[in-house]
Amino acid sequence: MQAEVINYIKFGILSPEEIKKISVAKLTVPDTYNEDGYPIDGGLLDQRLGVIDPGLICKTCGARAKTCPGHFGHIELVRPVLHSEFSKVLYAILRSTCFECHRILLDPKQVQALTDASDTETQENAEEGSEQRREKHAAVKSGRKCPYCKAVQPKLKFSQPTYFNIGDRRLKPDEIRDMVAKISREDLELLNIDPEVSNPSWLVINSLLVPPVNVRPSITLESGERSEDDLTHKLVDIMRINQRLEQNINAGAPQIIIDDLWELLQYHVTAYFNNETSGIPPARHRSGRALKTLAQRLKGKEGRFRYNLSGKRVNYSARTVISVDPYVNIDEVGVPKDIASKLTVPFYVTLWNLDKAKELLATKEYPTIINMIARDGKRKRVLDANRDELLKEIAPGYILERQLVDGDIVLFNRQPSLHRISIMAHKVKVLPGKTFRINYCTALPYNADFDGDEMNLHVPQTLEAQAEARLLMDVQFQIFSPRNGGAIIANSEDGIMGMYALTQEDRRLTKDEAVYLLSLAGIYKLPEPKKDGLYSGRDIFSMLLPEDFNFEDKTSYGPVKIKNGKLIEGIITKDVYGKDNSMFIKMVMDYGFERLRDFIFTSSKLADAYATLSGTTVGVKEYAIDAELEQKRVDIIQNTFAKVNEFIAQYKAKKLEPFIGYTLRESLERIIIAELNLARNNAGDTLVKHEGQGNSAVDMAKSGSRGNVLNLEQMSMFLGQQATLSGGRIKRGYYTNRVLPHIPPNDIAPVSRGFVTTSFYSGMHPVELFMHAVGSRGSEVYKALLTGRSGYLYRRLSNALQDYYVRKDLSVRDVNNNLIQTVYGGDAISPTLSRFAKLDGE
Amino acid sequence: MANTVNTSSKYIVDYGEPVGMIAAQSLGEPGTQMILRAFHFAGIESTIATSGLPRIVELVDARKKPETPITYVYLEGEYAKNINKAEVVLKKISEVKMSSVVRRVLENFSKGIIKLVLDTQALKANDLTPGQLSQKVAKKLDAATKVDSDGNILIKLKTKKLTEVRSISVKLMKDVVHGVEGAGKAMLQKDTKSGEFYIIAAGSNTEGIIGIEGVDKSRIYTNDVFAMYRQFGIEAARNTLVRELVTTLKEQKIRVDPRHLMIIADAMTYSGFIKGVGRHGLSGQKQSVFAKAAYEETVKHLVNAAAFSEIDNMRGVTENILVGKQIPIGTGSVHLAIKKEDMQKVKPESKHKK
Repeated sequence: MQAEVINYIKFGILSPEEIKKISVAKLTVPDTYNEDGYPIDGGLLDQRLGVIDPGLICKTCGARAKTCPGHFGHIELVRPVLHSEFSKVLYAILRSTCFECHRILLDPKQVQALTDASDTETQENAEEGSEQRREKHAAVKSGRKCPYCKAVQPKLKFSQPTYFNIGDRRLKPDEIRDMVAKISREDLELLNIDPEVSNPSWLVINSLLVPPVNVRPSITLESGERSEDDLTHKLVDIMRINQRLEQNINAGAPQIIIDDLWELLQYHVTAYFNNETSGIPPARHRSGRALKTLAQRLKGKEGRFRYNLSGKRVNYSARTVISVDPYVNIDEVGVPKDIASKLTVPFYVTLWNLDKAKELLATKEYPTIINMIARDGKRKRVLDANRDELLKEIAPGYILERQLVDGDIVLFNRQPSLHRISIMAHKVKVLPGKTFRINYCTALPYNADFDGDEMNLHVPQTLEAQAEARLLMDVQFQIFSPRNGGAIIANSEDGIMGMYALTQEDRRLTKDEAVYLLSLAGIYKLPEPKKDGLYSGRDIFSMLLPEDFNFEDKTSYGPVKIKNGKLIEGIITKDVYGKDNSMFIKMVMDYGFERLRDFIFTSSKLADAYATLSGTTVGVKEYAIDAELEQKRVDIIQNTFAKVNEFIAQYKAKKLEPFIGYTLRESLERIIIAELNLARNNAGDTLVKHEGQGNSAVDMAKSGSRGNVLNLEQMSMFLGQQATLSGGRIKRGYYTNRVLPHIPPNDIAPVSRGFVTTSFYSGMHPVELFMHAVGSRGSEVYKALLTGRSGYLYRRLSNALQDYYVRKDLSVRDVNNNLIQTVYGGDAISPTLSRFAKLDGE
Repeated sequence: MANTVNTSSKYIVDYGEPVGMIAAQSLGEPGTQMILRAFHFAGIESTIATSGLPRIVELVDARKKPETPITYVYLEGEYAKNINKAEVVLKKISEVKMSSVVRRVLENFSKGIIKLVLDTQALKANDLTPGQLSQKVAKKLDAATKVDSDGNILIKLKTKKLTEVRSISVKLMKDVVHGVEGAGKAMLQKDTKSGEFYIIAAGSNTEGIIGIEGVDKSRIYTNDVFAMYRQFGIEAARNTLVRELVTTLKEQKIRVDPRHLMIIADAMTYSGFIKGVGRHGLSGQKQSVFAKAAYEETVKHLVNAAAFSEIDNMRGVTENILVGKQIPIGTGSVHLAIKKEDMQKVKPESKHKK
C-alpha cells in the first residue's frame, strides 16, 4: 500500500530570499535560556523556532512539543562568509571565467564544440554527465588570455578550506560574490550550473539559516543542569563572533582587527557545516571531544543516511532467545504466550464480517482485541470498562487489532542477515515458555545455534504483505538455496546420526520400538515384519517416504536406492539427507514442497528419537588407540621425517629442481609442506581402516553428522604441521633463524618448524604445545580479519548490484533500464531451481 | 513458485526477481568461509596464484594488475608436439633479468665504473654472449662498455656521484636481457590429457607474447582481466572475470551458481569498460544522488548535487527506502490498472442483506 508518490527530488542551493522566506525569526542574542530557565526571545532556542519543553506552546504554530514540526530561523551576519563545502566549486568557477569581463575562458568555437558534445551524450546518462563536467573544467583551465576582453588572467591560488588569493591579496567573500554574480547565465550553463536553482553567488552567506530547536534538542541532566546540543553550541559561537565583529565595525576599529574577526567568523561557520574540514582545527567541546556538526550528522555508519534512513525501527516486532523444539514443524515458530498476546494483527471490519468482529471484540480472554481503530485513524485501547461502548460504535471500515493466534503468518529473522533466507515466513504456534521455538532443520539457513542466540519476529500488517509472506517467503519455498540450488533446510548432526543408525543393513527393531518411532512421525501402521518377527530399520524409514517414490544416487558412502517408496539398498547419510543433499530435489519435483516439508519434519522427529533409542554415543574410548595403531603412528612419522631429510639432503647437494617462480629454497619448503600434509592424510586413512566399524566417532565422521577424519586423526594420532597466518611453516622467533632457543640455528627439520607429533588425546610436549598455540592464535587473528574484509566486500557488491532485476522478456536491467544481460544467466534458469548448479557447469 | 515443480518452463527465473542482490548475497555470504592462504599443493599453478577472498576482492575491485599474473601460452602445430621446438618458444618468452646472468656487481664510485662479473653458465643457457650483453648495456645506458679479458663487462659511467652510480647499478639489475619484458619467468608444461606442450608464464604481457612464432593466438589466456581486455576486448574480459571467479570459488570448495558470477561480471563490463564494484566504479557512478550519498562519501555527493542542480528520479532501491516508499523491484514492480470505462461498471454493493 502506497499513499504518496514522489516523482523526483531536485537538489539546489537556498537563495537569501528563500532563507528569509522560510525563517520565522531573526536571531540576535547569542544565548539560550534566561535565569528563570525560559528560552530567550531572539536567542537560539526562541520559542518561535518550536518548543521541546513539555507545557510550552510554539509561538509560530501554536502546537505543543510533540506536534510542532519546528521552524527555521536565521542569523544576519555582518560580514559575508563562504560556504566552505562549496569552495572547490567556487574555485572551479573562478578559474574558468575572466577576472575582468567575467566571461567564460573559451572562444566561441570551443563553446560550440562543448554544446555539441553535451547534446548527444549528457541527456541519456548522468554517469557520463559528470565526466563531461570534469572535461569542461579541464578544457577551461588551459585558457590563459581571455578570448573576449584579452585580459591576461592572474594566477588564482586556492588553499583549503576557504582562502582565495591573487598574489598576496586575499579575495574577500563579498568580492567573490560580486565576481560570480557577474557571470552570464549562458556561461554558467556551459559549466553545467543552473543559476535559477544553484546560483553560485548564493554560496556566499549573509543570512545563515538556523535549524529548528527540535533538530538540536537540549537535554536536562539529572542534576537539573541543561546540556545543549553540539549544533547549538556552534551557533552560539557564530553569534558571539558576529556580535563582536559588529561592535568593532561600529566602533571604527582598525581594519586588521576587523579582518581577524571576519576570518574567525568564517572559521566558526566552516566548523558549523563540517567540523572535519581539512585545514581547520576541529572545534571542541569543553571536555575535549570534537563537536558533531552538520556533516558529521549525515556521514558514515552512525550518520543519518545509514543509521536512520536506510534502516528504520519498526513496531509489531518481538525479540527473544531461541531454543529447539523438534515438535514444531519447519514452517512454524513457537511463540511465547506473553509475546502472542502483545503483538497484534489487524482485522479489517467489513459488512460481511461484522458479526465475527463483534464476537471477537466481546471476548475477554486470550485471543481478543487489544485496540480498535476508528475510520479517522484514532486508536482506542479495548478495556473491560469500555468494551460495551466500543461494541456499539463498531462499524465497517473500522480496524480491530487482534492478538496473535496459531496460524498467523510472521516473519522470522536472525542477524546478520547475510542472505535472503535469513528472513523467512513462519506460521505462529503459541506455546508456553519465554523463548521462540524453532525446528532444528531451520537453524541452518539462519546460521543459528541455541547457546543464547536471539531472533526477531515481525508481524506483517497489510493483507498484501501477509499474502506475499505466505506465497513467497514461506519456509517450505526456501528449502533450496538461491546460491546453488542445494537444500539449505535439512537435518544435521543427531538427525543424520539417527538415520545412519536406523538404516544400517542388519538393523532390526522390536514391535514396541517400531510403533513408538512411527507414531512420532504420525504413522499408525506397521511395515511387514521380517521372518524373525522383528522390523527392519530400513522398512521403518521407508514408511516416511511417499508410496511410489523412486530415487537413486551414488553417495560417498555407497549407492542408495529407493524403489516404490522402499529403501532397498544403501545407508542414509548426509549426502542424501543432510545439507545440499540429492534426494530432496527428486522429492520436490515429484511431490511438491508441502510433501517435502512434512518429510523433513516427520523424519527428523523419528531420527532424533532413534538416535536416542539406539544409544549411539561417543566417549574418550573412541579416541584412545591401541599398541598396534601407536606403532603405525610412529612409523608414519618416522617415514615422513626420513623422506623430508632426503629432500633436505638433495637441496643441500643442489639436486632439487625448483618450481616456476620460486627459488630453490622456497621450492624445498613447498615440497616439505606437501610431504608433511601427506603424512597427516596417511595417518587419517590408517586410523579409519584400523578402527573400522563400531567406532562411533568414525561413524559420526562417515555419516557426515559431525566431525571429519582430520579431527579424529588429530585427536588420536598426531596434530601435524601447525601453520602461520601466511600459510607457511612457523619460522619466526630468533635472529639466528629459529623458533625457540633450543633449536639449532637454520634448522628446517619438521619438528623445528612446528610439526607436532603428539595428539590431543596423548597430550603435547611443551614445545609442541607452543607451536600449536602459535597456529591457534594465527587462525583466531585471521578470523577477525576475514569477517571485516568479507563484510565490506558484501556491502560493496550489494550496493553495486541491488538495482538489477529480471524483466518480462527475461533480460536483466537496472531500474534505469540499462541492459545488463539480454537473457538472465544465458538460459534464464533460476539458480534456486537449477540442479545443474555445479561450478563446472558453466 | 508453484507447489510442484515438474516442467522445464517452471525452472525459468521469476519476473522481477532481484537477481543482482541475490548474486551479491551468494558471493558475500560464504565470504567468511573462505580460507585466506592455506596450504595448497595441487599443481604448480595453484602454488603461485593468489586465491580465496583476496583474489575475489582483487577481481571484483577491477584492480589494474593482479597480485600474481599468470599467462597460459598454448602452441601451434609442431611446436606443441615437439619438446625441442617448444623450448625454443619458451626461451623467447621467458623473462631473464640482468640480475640472473650477473654473479657480482662491483662498483667503483671514485672512477664511476661498474664491473659486472657474469655467470657464464646462465649466460649460455640464455644464448647470450658477453659481447651482446655489453652492447645492450651500452645502448641502454648510453655509456662506454667493454668486455675485459676475464669475460666481465666494464661500464664507464658519465657520473661519479655515489648515489647516481648506485641507482644506475640497481636499475641495471632489473633490466630484462632476454625474453619478453613483463612476461615473467616461464616454464614448459605438458598437458596430461592431450600430451601437448604449453607454457605458463608468471606475468601478463600478452601483447608481447602473442606475436612470437609458434604461439597459438586463439588460445592464449591470462588471469589478468585488463590484459585480456586490451588484447581481445570487453567480452573476453567478461568471460575471464567469470572464469576466474568460478575457479577461485571452486578451489575453496564453495558452490556458487555461475549465473550469479555472470551477473557480477556483466555488471562490471556492460558499459564497455571494466568497472569495479566500489566507490570509484559501479556504486560511485549511480544516477541517484541518494544512493550515492547513502553508500560512501555522503557529503561530497550531496554538495555536488546541490551545486549542479542534480535531480534524483527516485527509481532505485536505496532512494525509495530512504523516503519510505515501496521499492520498484520484485512485487513492487507490478501495478494493477483498470480501464476508465470498466471503472464505471463497478457499482457499490447495496446494503448487506442477512
